[in-house]
Amino acid sequence: MTTKLSCRDCHNFAPIDVVKGMCHVTKTILLGDAEQCSDFDLMPKCKHCTQFKADTKTVEMGICQASTMEPKFFAFPDMVSVTCESYQQN
Amino acid sequence: MPKTLKDVLAEAGTPMDFESGGHSPKEMVDREVKREPHPRVAKLKEIFMDTLSSANNEFPYWYTREYALHDTEIPVVRRAMSLKSAFAHSTPVIYPGELLVTHKAAFFRGSFPMPWLSEGYYMAKEDELYLEALKHGSASADEHSKFGQGGGNVTKSFGKVISIAGKFGMRQEEIPALLRLAKAWVGKSVDDLGHKYEQMVPGYEVKEALMRNLICMFDSGYTLPQGREVINYYYPLEYGIDGLLDMAKELKSKVAGRADGDGIKGTNRLFNYEAIILSLEGLKTWFENYAKEARRLEAMEKEVIQKEEYAQTAARLEWLSHGKPRTFREAFQMILTVHLAVLNEDAISGMSPGRIAQVLHPYFEQDIANGTITEDEVMELLELYRLSISSIDCFASTGVVGGVLSGNTFNTVSIGGLNKSGGHAVNRLEYMLLEAGLNNPMPQPTLALLYDEKLPEDFLLLAMECIKTGVGYPAFMNGQNAMTFLMNQYGPEGMTSEEARAWAIGGCLETSPCCWKPLHLNGKEYFIPGGAGQPTSVGVHFLAMPKILETVLWNGVDQRTGEQVFAPHNRSLSTYDELFDQFKLYWQETVHVLALTNNVQHDIWRKNNMAVITSMLKPDCLDKGHLIDEKGYRYNATFNIETAGTITCVNSLAAIKQLVYEDRTVSLDELKTAVKDNFGFKTAKEVDSFSLSDQQQREDGTGKWDKLHFMCLQAPKYGNDDSFADEILLDWENFLCPDSKNYESLYAHPMYPCQISVSTHGAMGSATIASGDGRLAGTTYADASLSAFPGTDRNGVYALLNSATVWDHTQSQNSQLNIKIHPSAIQGPSGSRKLLDLIQAYMRKGGFHIQFNVVDTKVLKDAQANPQNYRDLMVRVAGFTQYWVEIGKPVQDELIARTEYEGI
Repeated sequence: MTTKLSCRDCHNFAPIDVVKGMCHVTKTILLGDAEQCSDFDLMPKCKHCTQFKADTKTVEMGICQASTMEPKFFAFPDMVSVTCESYQQN
Repeated sequence: MPKTLKDVLAEAGTPMDFESGGHSPKEMVDREVKREPHPRVAKLKEIFMDTLSSANNEFPYWYTREYALHDTEIPVVRRAMSLKSAFAHSTPVIYPGELLVTHKAAFFRGSFPMPWLSEGYYMAKEDELYLEALKHGSASADEHSKFGQGGGNVTKSFGKVISIAGKFGMRQEEIPALLRLAKAWVGKSVDDLGHKYEQMVPGYEVKEALMRNLICMFDSGYTLPQGREVINYYYPLEYGIDGLLDMAKELKSKVAGRADGDGIKGTNRLFNYEAIILSLEGLKTWFENYAKEARRLEAMEKEVIQKEEYAQTAARLEWLSHGKPRTFREAFQMILTVHLAVLNEDAISGMSPGRIAQVLHPYFEQDIANGTITEDEVMELLELYRLSISSIDCFASTGVVGGVLSGNTFNTVSIGGLNKSGGHAVNRLEYMLLEAGLNNPMPQPTLALLYDEKLPEDFLLLAMECIKTGVGYPAFMNGQNAMTFLMNQYGPEGMTSEEARAWAIGGCLETSPCCWKPLHLNGKEYFIPGGAGQPTSVGVHFLAMPKILETVLWNGVDQRTGEQVFAPHNRSLSTYDELFDQFKLYWQETVHVLALTNNVQHDIWRKNNMAVITSMLKPDCLDKGHLIDEKGYRYNATFNIETAGTITCVNSLAAIKQLVYEDRTVSLDELKTAVKDNFGFKTAKEVDSFSLSDQQQREDGTGKWDKLHFMCLQAPKYGNDDSFADEILLDWENFLCPDSKNYESLYAHPMYPCQISVSTHGAMGSATIASGDGRLAGTTYADASLSAFPGTDRNGVYALLNSATVWDHTQSQNSQLNIKIHPSAIQGPSGSRKLLDLIQAYMRKGGFHIQFNVVDTKVLKDAQANPQNYRDLMVRVAGFTQYWVEIGKPVQDELIARTEYEGI
């Protein structure tokens, strides 16, 4: 999956709201859509996880292969996975 | 140019901009008292002021995913498993400078949907589910609720941000997940199941008509099933999470398989304790995850002071993930995190922290004495707390969040009151809490001062200083009234006068039952107050009295929609007594059917969605092994009946009584025709505004209603110490209060009246045609339950107080009176003294609640025209404080039009 990464995908970015966040490195407020910088630290998200299988028919949707139910429970690429015990980075 | 209502009122001698007791200066006058918070707080507040209400799907995702795994599990255990997973997977977020951490969701002002309560309104309009939701009555409330068009509300979608319910922003990329989660709950949510079963209540079609026509504002069962109550922090403070886990495990083993004399629910205790254990494990992980985040930030931080603060935060959270708080800082962090945990368990409005300065005082006293904290450091934390609590959003539909709540979530903190032995309960920390409200004026926590004659004079005068900042707090509540009410309502459940003293305000001004518990700290015992009762956000909520009067006049038909709401009464209404009698009959029919359907909804809630975390905190659930659904709480008689538009209805009845039945200057039919014709004015829809000031006469009007409209406007009005109008209020209260006891909650207790309007006077007014008092179609009702209609209280403020106290307020959970005062009227120490005298006069007359907007009307007008210049302007609406830019225009208009007292 090729995705353009932005501040929103960075672990140094503390989201303030749906538009902007605080950079823990620079202590400045940035737009979440701003381009990644040299301090970029990948935020664990489903889209970066080996367990995530994108649904080619539905945009922004997929399944979590680590789900223990059948059929597998859905997942979505932009969900933060910091606390997910099954997260395995691609 | 057509005449406006403003012109007509001026001609009638009742101008909208009425100034009582003098005239305000021509120039705008700012409030007298202004202070600044600590620099750290100011910096974080700056972020808050520019923060959008934001929502994501993380919590509902993990909740739903876990729930789906356990479809054969016992309901209470299944729910706790889901909560545990959701808490354990919530992403921690900490911002530089924070000393009190944890947020509801991973945003500064975050929240999330709870589709297990109600899923319909998350759907886009084209979605089949949304269309289905439109068929339900609640969609009408959405249509008549408008948010303030500013502040942190995401009223419209923009860019990749989708506006949900006119308030919350969600990233576009999360919408498919939102819909997927919502669909997972179709037919299973409390809303859907409740709807399925409430239809089995005889007369259900009346209920649906009441909702569609906005005679009732909302169903509490699936919108806000908890809240307007006081939380209890005692157990986590006294035992810590590990202590509670040990206790629950021990009790679980003691009751497993045992009925102990209760053959119906005795064995349920096993499952309840199991649920408590699971929930505590989820909370433990939540603390741990925040601690890990603080450690991560500590490791990467280069600034020495910030690095140390992260380290201290991490250590605090690591300790609190298992141990009981030992210091003021730990105790404060514990109660904040526990509070947010409760708010994440359910859609809750008005989970009030209660008397936190009395709860935290043992830690404060000891830490100050041993030098581990300074008063300045405590003040900084108190100021930060205001920021944390103001950041709380409640994710619900527009109708509820906008039309009812105006975006506020009513986490009211109470101060003052009496201690367990009957002395005043004011301590040093209470003074500081007031000072923090002065230093960092923010909408929350709103402060409620539990008034008693024993309270120290300097404390009361400090409260006057706070009021003079214009923040709308502290509100004054009559403690003696409250305790009388509580003893009457909860005496049958064992309340003693000693326990009644522990009371506090839940929500904006709901008298709530509490209790004392013994806290032990370093060998000393302190009795601290905390909530012990079920929610009071529950029951029959917001009944539009003016609309019920409208249906009486038109034989059961709503004149806005033309729908037959009630069966025709076919009475001639030839006397006032017959009219009032029919009003009471329709009222009773309304309450009867809504009480039954609400009972069904709440029954679904308690069976499938019961409170586990709140229950664990509330005495005596842990001791008994029964949660809220099994009456584990000490006090369960909390369901109530909420009114709206009391004074508009009283004024209308007064006008009809005088003009039609006593003076006979007009026939009832003629008055009805004039009312239906909106007294010759355009409809609010035609003007495209529900604002009082924007209403215009029809250009082609003949002026045939001008004289009658003038008479209606001149008819006796409440608020002038005029017995003609006041006796109608008295008659109403003498009916309402005892009648409320005739309806039984699902917990088999009698109900009682709750007389607050919150923001419903705006939304419900918008759905009401003109009324006999001369009010025009679509415009707002009088604020609260005892505030005068704008511009009609013309005999001075003490006359208003006399009118408000013609009835016995102790029969009701509350009453509500708000007054607007120009800052110049109460300037200086003598102004403070006069204001306190006024309040004490009201309390001594038996009034329950009084609060003030200390503001120059010119400022409000300028703020309406130039909202960009007034992001931090706060006003008092009904029972709460809110940012001006975050309330709807109809309510803004009512505030502008309200009588401004220039002298008291």
